[in-house]
Amino acid sequence: MYFQTRTIALAAFLCAAPAVMHAQFDFKVDGLPFQVHSFASQGFMYTSDNNYMTMNTSNGSFAFTDFGANVSTQITDKFRVGAQLYDRNVGKLGGWHPDLDWAVADYKFKDWFGIRAGKVKTTLGLFNDTQDLEFLHTWALLPQSMYPLDQRGSTISHIGGDIYGAIPLKKLGELNYTVYGGDRPNDMNGGYVYALETSAKQGTDANGISIVVPSSSRTINSYNGPAYGADLRWNTPLTGLLLGSSYLDQDPTTKGFFVATRIPFLIQTEKDLTNAFYAEYMLRGFRFDAEYRREIMDTRTTSSNGVLAAPTDKDMRSAYVAASYRLTKLLEIGSYYSRFYYNWAYLHSDPLNHVFDQAITARLDLRKYLDLKIEGHFMNGIMPSATVSRGFYIAPNPAGLKPDTRLLVIRLGYHL
Amino acid sequence: MRRIQYSPITLLILALCALHAWAGDLRVIANPSVGASSVSADELKGVFLATKTSLSDGSRVEPVLLKGGATHEEFLKAYVGKSDAAFETYYRSLVFTGKASMPKELATDADMVAYVAKTKGAIGYVSAGAAVAGVKTLEVK
Repeated sequence: MYFQTRTIALAAFLCAAPAVMHAQFDFKVDGLPFQVHSFASQGFMYTSDNNYMTMNTSNGSFAFTDFGANVSTQITDKFRVGAQLYDRNVGKLGGWHPDLDWAVADYKFKDWFGIRAGKVKTTLGLFNDTQDLEFLHTWALLPQSMYPLDQRGSTISHIGGDIYGAIPLKKLGELNYTVYGGDRPNDMNGGYVYALETSAKQGTDANGISIVVPSSSRTINSYNGPAYGADLRWNTPLTGLLLGSSYLDQDPTTKGFFVATRIPFLIQTEKDLTNAFYAEYMLRGFRFDAEYRREIMDTRTTSSNGVLAAPTDKDMRSAYVAASYRLTKLLEIGSYYSRFYYNWAYLHSDPLNHVFDQAITARLDLRKYLDLKIEGHFMNGIMPSATVSRGFYIAPNPAGLKPDTRLLVIRLGYHL
Repeated sequence: MRRIQYSPITLLILALCALHAWAGDLRVIANPSVGASSVSADELKGVFLATKTSLSDGSRVEPVLLKGGATHEEFLKAYVGKSDAAFETYYRSLVFTGKASMPKELATDADMVAYVAKTKGAIGYVSAGAAVAGVKTLEVK
């Protein structure tokens, strides 16, 4: 009831705010100009089978809300500071816990060399740093193989710094680079911790893939660790064509305890490497995106007797192709096909080892600051891993998960 | 129904008019503090995509935008290579990830000229017929 009231209040705010605030909000302090921007979205999800993203989607759910606001100022020609708050409620995830999304001090020495430090959005692939900003994208849900709502905290930001710059290549276009390092912040309200606290591995199926069952035997206290990486993107001489590659190496540690015995619980990362390759092409109203990502993850987990087990290896692969076309100023349509494999070494056709998703979308730009998306998803596979789930969890589906899911998403968003 | 027929000369005149409308209906202006008298198309693109903050002569520059209209769309098409919607999306992605601030946006040519005239390093664009007192016009190479 409490959440319903908040959801209705936010929905009312979403409807009312654009009417009264249809420009960014600027003000000055001591002659220094500040800019304030904000965004919010309210979604609805309905599924044919399986409850998705920890929501009660098989009955239709409005528990899909987020908003954020930032303030920034240019202190000198080269020095800029800013910060953004972000809050969300997606089923059992987020839980309305406001998060300092980013807070950066940015000094640009030269166009080819700048430093930004603080809590920084991580550059990984085409959309990692903008995945919360639905108004930038055609889709109500970005391809969940690569930008899962529930695993957002695994890659969204780092507390540390970036070195970045743009290097003109004359007739060959321009190279943009980012090199970063820092500590991956704790994400206690995401799908990773939710899965660990509500389910546990119980053996493997005939193909060697983990079978996960409902269990609340563990409590997690922290989930963070160092992360560093790089991104290189080439704005090619062909107008509208961008090619790029990203690399991420992280070493997160999960700490908690077994509820019954108070024995410490640990997931220790031996290796977690991600390589991504991507392309984007825009021509007039047409847009095409494609990405491929491979993540190799080796972890060791303590069993209930407190002994650290042998490493388990995962070779996760994800890819998608997406195309959209703006028919009019009001209407954009698009479709994507996305695939995620939990472990490339296992049987690809096992629904516990993959999630495939075909999506079709219509985006209506009702105003410059207000959009409405209506999107259908046709998914196969459930892959209820306890640590890298893609929307399907055991706890909200006590009667078991079925291999196919049809999903309707309606999402209304605004930004200023 | 009678089909309209155009002579080759009429077509040539129409083509020349169209070319003029595409390339000649705007001018790039800058604050007099900007040392350069010309700017390359690549530099202009970099400045308006926030990847360049200075011109080749070392002048620091700050891009200024018109809020909309034909001159704005023509400028984006000719020199930035993006539609108004794509340009807006590009800047929003920077602003909401902490990587840039939104450039100043002005409603009219007169507002643009007044702002560029008083703001050190400002660089903008106006329609070809606008009065440009107090600013310098940059040739785009």
